[in-house]
Amino acid sequence: MRPWKSLTVVAILLSGLAARAPAASPPEPVTMKVTPSVISMGTFYSGARVHVEGTVPQASDVIIDVRGPETIEVFNKVGRAGPIWVNTGKVSISGIPTLLLVFSTRPVHNCLCRSEIDRCELDAAAIKSKIKIEPRAMASEVVADEFLKLKYRQKSYQLANTGIQMEDPAEVGQHYTLDFIWPKNAAPGTYVVRVCACQGGNVEDSLEAPLKVVEVGFPAMIADLAKDRPATYGIISVVVAVLAGFGIDFITTRIFKKKISAH
Amino acid sequence: MEILLPVAGMSISLPVLVGAGAMVGFLSGMFGVGGGFLMTPILMFLGIPPTVAAASDSCQIVAAASSGTAAHLRLGHVDMKLGAFVLMGGVSGGWIGVRIIKLLRSMGEADLVIKITYVVFLSLIGGYMFAESLRSLRRGALEPKGHHAARGKSLLSRLPFQVDFRLSRVRHSLLVPFLFGGAVGILAAIMGVGGGFIMVPMMVYLLRVPMHVAVGTDLFQIVFTSAAVTFMQAAVNHTVDLLLVLLLAAGSTIGAQVGTRVGRYLRGDQLKILLASIVLLVMVKMAFGLVQTPAVLLTAAKGH
Repeated sequence: MRPWKSLTVVAILLSGLAARAPAASPPEPVTMKVTPSVISMGTFYSGARVHVEGTVPQASDVIIDVRGPETIEVFNKVGRAGPIWVNTGKVSISGIPTLLLVFSTRPVHNCLCRSEIDRCELDAAAIKSKIKIEPRAMASEVVADEFLKLKYRQKSYQLANTGIQMEDPAEVGQHYTLDFIWPKNAAPGTYVVRVCACQGGNVEDSLEAPLKVVEVGFPAMIADLAKDRPATYGIISVVVAVLAGFGIDFITTRIFKKKISAH
Repeated sequence: MEILLPVAGMSISLPVLVGAGAMVGFLSGMFGVGGGFLMTPILMFLGIPPTVAAASDSCQIVAAASSGTAAHLRLGHVDMKLGAFVLMGGVSGGWIGVRIIKLLRSMGEADLVIKITYVVFLSLIGGYMFAESLRSLRRGALEPKGHHAARGKSLLSRLPFQVDFRLSRVRHSLLVPFLFGGAVGILAAIMGVGGGFIMVPMMVYLLRVPMHVAVGTDLFQIVFTSAAVTFMQAAVNHTVDLLLVLLLAAGSTIGAQVGTRVGRYLRGDQLKILLASIVLLVMVKMAFGLVQTPAVLLTAAKGH
């Protein structure tokens, strides 16, 4: 047998073996579904229950965070003037989300290393390192602490929630679910839900989805009118109030007359 | 069940809100006062921003006063001439008051000023009513301070532009109702009140207007003063929450009907001392709020 023929036979055998060998499995994708994707603030709105579910690669920790847009928020700083507490000046805070909800399978510090927590802004220390306070002369540490305290009280910031449930490994990845109550006083806008699959202290993969909060129906109509056409809104308010007053008088007078005639 | 207040930007329990309206309406019906001076502090206790509470209360007063005016017009208790001059002063005062609030809001001090104004006025009125009720309980009858009223009247009679107000059977300078109306208009804008609890005693004790005409005329001018304040608050400060107004009006109407019936079983002195106690309690709660260390040393600032 000529050498080139033997080489061809070896190559065919090797290729056959290669075809029989199991293929390297593709990376398990991170998936996520947010329900509802739009929260409607109607007349009887009192917050909403949000359900998040999907899959992550097996043996991953899961962190889900929901964040609002970064805006400049202006606050009055309260200080003591004699016996009473008064506003001592305005402070402008920026560089951080208006709303931040963080959920995880285990405490965030057990899932990620410090640098990843800071990069993803997932705890109070990370937020405080990003916060921008104007004027800078103010005691930034105190203002940052008070800002976080205010956000916790408003339930706009909810960190260190370990509410994610993991289910048995599926064929492709591991299934997770999360149910949480949307803060009822969160302003209308577009928020971002992000799921991170964490392994070895790092975020291995992540996925984002929008969550819209919109005013609808009567409250939306009133809010738009009050903001966009304040003079018209003022006239309507007065007319409605006067009509309500005379209407009440008309009804009570009729009832009173009926009672007299009944006697 | 919660309801979303579109201008206040918050959800609040519907039964609590209507209940607050009913409670103030009950007190209004029982004691014969407007109740505006109680409604705004109660709304603030419920967490509604003071500027929205005051502006929306002004609008609610338009509804309540319209209802009262309709009844007094039928009875012939409205002195249109006197009311017109009080009204002119009231609208001017309301305009000044709204500008003051706008300026204070830009400085971040509006909420504080509203609270301090409340504490001052509630303590003055509550204290006066309490002392007067105690005196009348001891003496057995109410006796207005004749010499004080006479001194006030002699000062007022020296002012120019004296005219007769026939229905009220008094003669005064046109400046008097105008200036009184102006002062009450400023208070109406800052405190979100109709001002009846100041204006009626002024008319009765200083201007010598008969009680029933004072009440009717006061309600008549309150409709316009509060309407003007409501319009200006909506146009300038964007703080009138119409949904809040309608719910309060609904609650207060029902409460007023019940309060009127309950009030018939109590003596005048007992009613007055009860009302004075409520006013003083509200004042103490508000004063405590001013000196108590706040839970957070930052408050949201409206407008940048």
